[in-house]
Amino acid sequence: MDNGDYPITSLVDAAAAGDEHAWHEIVDRYAPLLASVIRRFQLTTAETQDVAQTVWLRLIEHLSSLREPRALPMWIITTSRRESLRYLAGRRRTLPYDPLDPSWLATSAEDAEPDAELLRAERHEALLAGLAELPARQRELLLLLVEDPPLSYAQISQRTGVPVGSIGPTRGRALDRLRQTFAVRDHLTGPARVPVVSDGAARLDRGAPRDFDRLRER
Amino acid sequence: MTQHRWDDDQHLLDDLSDALREAALAGTLAEYGKGAYAWRTIDQDLLLASLSFDSSLESVQERRSDRDDARVLVFTAAPLSLELEVMPDRIVGQIVPPGPGEIRVEAADGVTFHVEADDAGFFDLPGMPRGPVRLRCDTPTGRLVTDWVRL
Repeated sequence: MDNGDYPITSLVDAAAAGDEHAWHEIVDRYAPLLASVIRRFQLTTAETQDVAQTVWLRLIEHLSSLREPRALPMWIITTSRRESLRYLAGRRRTLPYDPLDPSWLATSAEDAEPDAELLRAERHEALLAGLAELPARQRELLLLLVEDPPLSYAQISQRTGVPVGSIGPTRGRALDRLRQTFAVRDHLTGPARVPVVSDGAARLDRGAPRDFDRLRER
Repeated sequence: MTQHRWDDDQHLLDDLSDALREAALAGTLAEYGKGAYAWRTIDQDLLLASLSFDSSLESVQERRSDRDDARVLVFTAAPLSLELEVMPDRIVGQIVPPGPGEIRVEAADGVTFHVEADDAGFFDLPGMPRGPVRLRCDTPTGRLVTDWVRL
């Protein structure tokens, strides 16, 4: 086990220091996690683009504060969920209630998402965050193994250079490694972390808002 | 030791496959991310003002009933902060502590413009570009750049 050599931390440090390749690698590793979180909110294409862009842009400036290994995926999950929620909150205020409107369904899905759905989302987030921690070759192999339609071992061998006879054992090692990632271990051992999004979510940091009324007097 | 579904290789791979199917947009979103790096701030003297309050994320119960739907945002960076109030037709803002300064708006699509804050730190912004924006604020006491937000 190579816990001491956590690759994401050095990627984050390098990207914060100006290494664009390190940033691209972070983006490639964590884009599936981001996509999976945003998808749950059923936003339009333009909204999805805005949320994703906002999250990436903000992440670049916050990299230096995310040096702890678990911090990056949690930051991505929290920020993208919050930014997606803002669209739903906006719709709720401007639209008359229509139980058949998909945006209303999405809103209530987030407010009172059935436990099973939430747990499923958490499982997926843990797996995608775990996948992001894997070394490139193992990640690549797992991605090929779940392609739809499925690839034959011969095709996988061609793309990865791993001999056909070694794909089975390599697959086993990659899955073992996935079980050992921070994200998957935390998911399996931690208490159920049902996210509470409505509880004080507006207060992003600490401290109360100031008195804004003086703005309006102008 | 209790057995978990993921102890089995095939189950673990199946769940990973499900998770990835729901992340089908990842490739597109990664492209946005790569393009975003050009916006990295490299100015060491610039304070990053984090979004510390956003009224649009308050739950209905928390929202003060005596107010209309203007959205209030606070960006905090000691010793300087920015407060914004987003109304349907305009955006007004306040530099805290109050004082003169220049406000520059940057949009991720490259549009920029600036306005002057008055001696009390108050400023008034015309319509905003679509998509993520951030504000830079230059004052005699310091300079800050806010988090990216959609207004």
